[in-house]
Amino acid sequence: MKKFVALLLALTMILALGACGNSDKASDGKVELNVIAAQYGTNTAAWWDNFVKEFEAEYENIDLNVEVVSWNDISTKVNTRISNDEAPDILNIDVFADYQADGLLLPAKDYVSEETYNKMYPAFLEQSEIDGTVWAIPDLASARALYYNVDILKAADVEVPTTWDELTAACKALKEYDSNIYPWGIDMTTDEGQAAFAYYTWNNGGGFVDEDGNWTLNSAENVEAIEYAIGLVNAGYTNTDPATETRYALQDLFCAGQLAMMIAPNQLSGLAKAANINFAVAEIPSNTGESVSAGVMDRFMCFDNGYSDEELEAIKTFFDFFYDDARYSDWVIMEDFLPATSTGGEIMAAADESAAAWVDIVGSSKFYPTAKAEWADVKQGVIKAEQTALLGGSVKDALDELQAQIAGS
Amino acid sequence: MKKKWRTAEPYLWILPSVILMAIFIIVPIFYVFKMAVSDVSKTGKIRGFAGFENFSSVLSDASFGMVMKNTLIWTVAVVGLSTILGFMLALILNNKFRGRKIARAIVVFPWATTLVIQASVWNFIINTDYGTLNTLLLRLGIIHQAINWTPTPAAYFAWEIACGIFVTIPFVTFTVLSGLQSIDNSFYEAATVDGANYWQKLFKITIPLVRPSLTVSTVLNIIYVFNSFPIIWTMTKGDPANHTDTLVTYLYKLAFYNGRQGEAAAVSVIGFLFLLICASAYMISTLKKEGK
Repeated sequence: MKKFVALLLALTMILALGACGNSDKASDGKVELNVIAAQYGTNTAAWWDNFVKEFEAEYENIDLNVEVVSWNDISTKVNTRISNDEAPDILNIDVFADYQADGLLLPAKDYVSEETYNKMYPAFLEQSEIDGTVWAIPDLASARALYYNVDILKAADVEVPTTWDELTAACKALKEYDSNIYPWGIDMTTDEGQAAFAYYTWNNGGGFVDEDGNWTLNSAENVEAIEYAIGLVNAGYTNTDPATETRYALQDLFCAGQLAMMIAPNQLSGLAKAANINFAVAEIPSNTGESVSAGVMDRFMCFDNGYSDEELEAIKTFFDFFYDDARYSDWVIMEDFLPATSTGGEIMAAADESAAAWVDIVGSSKFYPTAKAEWADVKQGVIKAEQTALLGGSVKDALDELQAQIAGS
Repeated sequence: MKKKWRTAEPYLWILPSVILMAIFIIVPIFYVFKMAVSDVSKTGKIRGFAGFENFSSVLSDASFGMVMKNTLIWTVAVVGLSTILGFMLALILNNKFRGRKIARAIVVFPWATTLVIQASVWNFIINTDYGTLNTLLLRLGIIHQAINWTPTPAAYFAWEIACGIFVTIPFVTFTVLSGLQSIDNSFYEAATVDGANYWQKLFKITIPLVRPSLTVSTVLNIIYVFNSFPIIWTMTKGDPANHTDTLVTYLYKLAFYNGRQGEAAAVSVIGFLFLLICASAYMISTLKKEGK
């Protein structure tokens, strides 16, 4: 009897395992839309839950499934789905070029209605353009600016720096005022070291690419810019270990009143307010007289799963619903981001004065060249070059080597 | 009929485990080998056969030598030192003393906590700018300026090794302890009668008799520590410039930061073969000694 029971259990187990492989598609006549969305913060999942409820109430013939996935897992998840031929219909993530290179995406104009498409800032759409076609649409943006602790700067009698010379002088004065305060924060970690590269090179007339989109990683401006940043570290003006202290650690230091100035996204405002820090925001100091902010943009894209007209129509409906002005500004405000549509920007600027300044900043931002296929290697490469320089290596040698590796490959 | 059933029966019973192993172990290993010799796109699509291209591009990376060296230092230091310390701790805990049960329970703590939490806590203690160690020493007036506990990558790596040892000791201790408890006390009594001292008893009785337990814990630890990811990832992510990377963190960055999954698979195959050779060499040599 016991043996029989055991055998039965074993068989059940095998059958159960087999059943895991079957994914049933609902076939009740409804159009099914599968969306994978990035989890921006603690409110994201609830926001999408509510979105699905409202959407399905209005469009009963569409079965909308939204899966919210953390940033740590989302690429792996999507790649696994693609290799199993189960690509999502709509994906909300940061990069798109790799999917486009594999021929997996539809052009944006195919799946976004003209009215919704025209709401987007053209400068943003350009960031998703490859060979003259726009493949993805921006869902939100974020920009960076200089945050400074008003009380510390006042006590040390330091003006807000706008040029690099002023920045060096300000750091020196702050260090002399109180050696336990870190005047300037730098993050050159694997987390976000490419942002530091952008802040300094863009504000020195350099950058990742030239006007024609060719890689210019080892330009003289770039070498000078990174040498300047490393110089600040070596002079003792920054946090101790920029290679392992992430922006989040710096934000904590800023909110603890230990760090006088840092470059951060607008989310820091909320954190610093909660920590009762008397802070203000200014333009990133520049060596050229014209301050450039670093913009970050995330996107929606649509996988080419061989849609029928009805399915394509459902996808367009999804985007019209999402970019509805009221709903869209709610989406952007939810996790303190900035809008990627002009109408969203107007609503936000009208509602909040401090937001208006940010909307201006994001409008004049430069973006990472994420549309280029080599971007992932460039990103890791500039971080490694910065860290090599932090260890005492030559900035020029590191960037020369990277340029040869990227442009030569 | 009955006889046939008898021969078939044992295979039927192990069938579920065989199927599970095939699905969760053999298929993924096969897939990794396949990826290692394939041209894989950044989204994970296999485009075609690439021969040993992935291997040659990994081996030609200037950092790979350093990563390999780090992996060896990491594995040998963590396994070696935690085995010695864990063994000593087991000897102490095998004595009868008041509060022994509590002491044994405390030893489990580092093991029972998630590695990510452990590593974050260590990071939080040693950080120069906001670490609790500096704060404590400053408050007590022992130091007057924050000390940089991680001035070089080597120093950071040493801290990671220390954290690795800290979380590995409990496993060694408990494996050895179970071995120690199975040693019959009469051996020691006989040795005492014959006039053996503490060290003679340790090297002639205790160590030979717990060797099987030590072999088990060492082999498992070599595999486990070699493949350990959370401590290094949480503390430094292999930064700065690969100086604290081991094979596992290096291949993770290759796969998920650079999108070079074929090369990452090649690194993982190299690690797998290396581990296979090391672990089998160790097993064979210790089993031979036992056979003597």
